[in-house]
Amino acid sequence: MESSELERFEAVVLPHLDAAYTLARYLTRSDHDAQDVVQDASLRAFRHFGTFRGAGSAEGRAWLLAIVRNTAYTWQRRHHGDTLTTAFDEERHSEAAADEHPEAALVAQGERAALRRAIDELPPEFREVIVLRELEELSYKEIAEVAGVPVGTVMSRLSRARRRLEEVLCATTEDC
Amino acid sequence: MTHPAFEAQLDAYLDGELATPDAAELEQHLRACPDCSRLEQRRRAVSAAVREHVLRFPAPDTLRARVRSAVRADVKRRVQPRSYWSALAVAASLAVVAVGGWQAGLRHAASDALADQLLSSHVRSLMPGHLIDVQSSDQHTVKPWFNGKLDFSPPVYDFAGRGFPLIGGRLEYVGGRPVAALVYGRRQHLINVFLWPTEGGPTGGRPATTRQGYHLLHWTTPAYSYWVASDLGLPELRDFAALLQRGDSVAP
Repeated sequence: MESSELERFEAVVLPHLDAAYTLARYLTRSDHDAQDVVQDASLRAFRHFGTFRGAGSAEGRAWLLAIVRNTAYTWQRRHHGDTLTTAFDEERHSEAAADEHPEAALVAQGERAALRRAIDELPPEFREVIVLRELEELSYKEIAEVAGVPVGTVMSRLSRARRRLEEVLCATTEDC
Repeated sequence: MTHPAFEAQLDAYLDGELATPDAAELEQHLRACPDCSRLEQRRRAVSAAVREHVLRFPAPDTLRARVRSAVRADVKRRVQPRSYWSALAVAASLAVVAVGGWQAGLRHAASDALADQLLSSHVRSLMPGHLIDVQSSDQHTVKPWFNGKLDFSPPVYDFAGRGFPLIGGRLEYVGGRPVAALVYGRRQHLINVFLWPTEGGPTGGRPATTRQGYHLLHWTTPAYSYWVASDLGLPELRDFAALLQRGDSVAP
């Protein structure tokens, strides 16, 4: 690796460290794990930088986020003995969430807290599409690349995730 | 437009990801359907609320520093000249392995085919009238019988004293050349010993393999390639093979 390649890596990939850390935070739901995941993912990105064919900043971001995502899933499996994917049962989860958060409590927490909590409690496949779309404003195609699923899957996951959040907002604000 | 179809497309529409004709159709439906219009308003509100309330997490400075130093340490680690030429050497050795593997694969396939042939030969010899061309328990009868039929004179032993009496011999054609087949007995079991000169004959094969209930043992001496086939139990067959190997090593 020549120093010019290091410079190119620092110019193309490192500007997206905030996006990388945000995604890792939402996937691991832990500051400590998220930092380790991002460091690990950055090193992997650097070692495979030769395979990065893109040129622009947006491509560099999607490329780094894909590596962060995979690293986070692997991390969860290795360090917590489960997978992000199976850690949540969608159906069971939504019932459990309803039990845990009676309407009155949600109202007391306010819309903001309820929403943050609801996102944290989404299954990881839903959580990541919300973060990538609403916070990072990636296109469906970019999200599909990061998550390694077809665009149609991105569309349906995003729709179901928002419906889930909509239910939480309804319960909190009683405005639906 | 049905409501489930509408909801599936609504998010794509709000994200500007719906193709123009689909978007036009959806807007037309929105104007006509108050329920769907309310749904659209709520879905927009969700998106807006997430963008407004949900946190981005800027990477802490400590993390930035960690990433930078990890990457730079990785550069230093790799600065040792692992250059073009060493990469070429690695590629070349990989190519050798690949070709070697390919050749080994071919040899493997060839020896498998050989084992198949010998097994067929063994099974066929067990059919009535096929076992032997020369029936004799006398090695001094069997050995000369091959004269003029083979271009080598196979070593023939009688292990009757060890419980493996010689029964006879026959000619076989294996791997593109005539070979000697010697038949020995063990109680009700028959043992075929196939052999041919190591040089100029088919080579290779696993030392031991079991197919269709028959065991095949194989070894090579400086002079001969041996294959032994039988339904005899493997331990006894190995004892027999050991006798043959010992006999061969003391043969003139």
